[in-house]
Amino acid sequence: MNIRITSLTGILGCLLGFSINTLAQSPTDELMMPKKEICFLLNYEYGDFDHYWEGDSLRENATIATVQRRTLLLMAAYGITDRLDAYVGLPYVSTNSTTPNGGKFAGTSGIQDLSLGLKYKVIESKQEKSDFSLFASVLFSTPASNYLSDYQPYSLGLGAPQIAWRAIAHYQLQSGFYGRLSGAYVWKGYTEAEREYYYNNGSYYTAWMDVPSSWNLDLAVGKWFFGHDLRVEATFSSQTSTSGDDIRAYNAPQPTNKVDMSRVGGFAHYYFPKVKGLGVLGYASQTISGQNAPKMTAFGGGVTYQFGL
Amino acid sequence: MVAVSHISLDSNLSIMKRIQLLYILLALGVFSCSKDLPTELAYSSYQFASIDENGGDWIPILISDGAAIEIPVPTDVNSDAYQAELAEVKSAIASMTASQKKAVEQWTNNPVVRWNEIALELIAKYNLIPGPNADGTYTLPNPGNPDGPPAFPFAHPPYASRALAYMSVAQFDGLIAAWHYKFEYNRDAPYVLDPDIEHAFVANPIPAYPSDGAVVAAASGAVLKAMFPLEAAYLEQKQNEHLEALLLSGEAVPSDLDGGVKIGQEIAALALTRAAGDGMKNAQTSKAVSDSIANAAYERFGWMWINQESPQRPVGLTPLFGKVKMWNVPNVEATRPPVPPTPGSEAYNADVKILEGYLAEKNQEYRRIANFWQDGLGTYTPPGHWNEFANRFIVESKMNTLRAARTLAYLNMAVMDAGISCWDAKYYYHYPRPIQTIEGFKTIAGTPNFPSYTSGHSVFSAAAAEVLAYVFPEKANLVRGWAEEAAISRVYGGIHWTFDATVGTTQGINVAQYSIDRARQDGADF
Repeated sequence: MNIRITSLTGILGCLLGFSINTLAQSPTDELMMPKKEICFLLNYEYGDFDHYWEGDSLRENATIATVQRRTLLLMAAYGITDRLDAYVGLPYVSTNSTTPNGGKFAGTSGIQDLSLGLKYKVIESKQEKSDFSLFASVLFSTPASNYLSDYQPYSLGLGAPQIAWRAIAHYQLQSGFYGRLSGAYVWKGYTEAEREYYYNNGSYYTAWMDVPSSWNLDLAVGKWFFGHDLRVEATFSSQTSTSGDDIRAYNAPQPTNKVDMSRVGGFAHYYFPKVKGLGVLGYASQTISGQNAPKMTAFGGGVTYQFGL
Repeated sequence: MVAVSHISLDSNLSIMKRIQLLYILLALGVFSCSKDLPTELAYSSYQFASIDENGGDWIPILISDGAAIEIPVPTDVNSDAYQAELAEVKSAIASMTASQKKAVEQWTNNPVVRWNEIALELIAKYNLIPGPNADGTYTLPNPGNPDGPPAFPFAHPPYASRALAYMSVAQFDGLIAAWHYKFEYNRDAPYVLDPDIEHAFVANPIPAYPSDGAVVAAASGAVLKAMFPLEAAYLEQKQNEHLEALLLSGEAVPSDLDGGVKIGQEIAALALTRAAGDGMKNAQTSKAVSDSIANAAYERFGWMWINQESPQRPVGLTPLFGKVKMWNVPNVEATRPPVPPTPGSEAYNADVKILEGYLAEKNQEYRRIANFWQDGLGTYTPPGHWNEFANRFIVESKMNTLRAARTLAYLNMAVMDAGISCWDAKYYYHYPRPIQTIEGFKTIAGTPNFPSYTSGHSVFSAAAAEVLAYVFPEKANLVRGWAEEAAISRVYGGIHWTFDATVGTTQGINVAQYSIDRARQDGADF
């Protein structure tokens, strides 16, 4: 039995310095853990950007120069039954600007958001030449430390509780080619700033900021090689916020911004056939369009290990 | 969906946490729910703590006395003309729409606070520093071409302090005039004269002619239109909405409003005449003048502040704001602080150690304080923050419109004088920022585009706190504590020396004393 773990494609890649989908460990793929098996992932990601969209206008800003972001993630997936998986994940993030820069701002680091999730296999239909399956997942995340979300672009995350409701459809041919579509509504709650007034197309006399919820789409086409030892995919992801304001001219972003973006990427996961339970993965992604979002380039790699309990 | 509007800010936060939990539970079941956050101070009309029948005798700022602005003698309440006005009010109230009713409730019987909030909102909207052009140059906002880019104005703290001062002084003087005629003519309000007219507000025995609310609407609208020219249409709409609400409240007939509008327009014109000649138009200098100011400081002291941004800004923010005409300080040198420690001296080196210590500590309480008082770009600025405190205290102590305007007038005169005094020190001493002289130093607050000594937050806040301590003695310890925290917050943020903060606090206290001395003599305390 090969290792199965949630695909991280395009999800880790979106952990950016700006307000983004911070659901780092969201179950977006078709893989299920066998009952009573557990899998751990240790993942490292590096991302940076020197351009960002202020509203829909792409710009540089010498005040922040290039913003770098490093994320170390530990997560686990567990098969409660063959149709129901549970997930838990916790990332550590550090951010900074490259020098020289005009702002001389200190970067920051710390534990970001704890995620807890469930994924359920709703339909599995095995035909002669193809398989089709449908999944539903829900993922809850909440800040696990007192990081400040209102310190952009260096904030570790959005600082708000989030709940992602997701449906995943997977279609696979006998040849190993597959396609996957996942759509999610990500509810994002309030984040608490450390000031009691802010402007969001009008005055707000509160420390609480409404973080816009979003619709998120993930699309993947891929293929299994060497039986089930290696999977390689090309990915496309997008986020469309349901509300929010634009970053104002030459001003810092804030958690109330309407962050939209689309991103392309590649992902590969190799399961060592001779070392039971061990796998390695790697990925890269590039934001290609956006609004109030950084034009982030990201790379990541990780190790997975699966075993029965 | 959840009422959070009738509670203080502190309990607001803990309740918000509970509401957030509720939202999480709701979100588990449904996809979305509305999110309500406060966009203004929550209060309704209230019983004034005092009526101040002698308010018309108080000494105003820009005019000699309350009678200096003339309005027509009002018609008798038994005249046909007045009865026609009364019928007009009655029919307007009878056909009031839901949105008109909401507007009446929102403006309340203390619209001084509401107009202050409009000013704060515009300050926050325009408090955006112009970014560099593609070729690395900077274009400054130009009142001759307000559309820009960049749009005019850049509502930085000195600009904000000045806009608030002129608006508050115009309101105060206009209301002294209104009070003068109210108690001279003693014409009752429509709801008093006709029991069929429903009064939207809590009753206060103040004569209706001229309408104090109309004075506030006209004076505030006119001053703000001059300060924020791109907002003329928005302000006109707010002004009309407010005047309509006054009529629909049952407190004013059209001629009550007309009398108030006339006072408001005339006092605003006087305020804007003073503003046109106060020296602000010369405050943002050419590079040549800016360089000569920097060089003069270098010759005098052996140091000078240099902007560290990329691309470098050629001129600091309003180098000659220190030359703007003060309200209550006879000359700016009277409040100029002593020379700061020479870079490299023992006192300076001790401060470097303190700053590096704060940076290394990554203390969450320091971070919270630095952020709480930051009031940086895109916000209502420190003068705005102190206006917000004043607004809360005004409502809490149930001040009438005249007392509210007096509080804000003395507050904002002192705050603008504080800014002028601070800017005088900043460009006289031209002292470097920590990021300029400490190698590799990093901050958690944005370093502003002007010299370090003294800290604007410290001077603004100390001056504001002194005026509030005078008007609200029971708040004295509270507001003075806040002012000290605001001052040290800039050191925690990494953008000021401790002596910028401590000396700035003393400077602000000194500046405010001139305004307080004047306030004690204006008749309101007798």
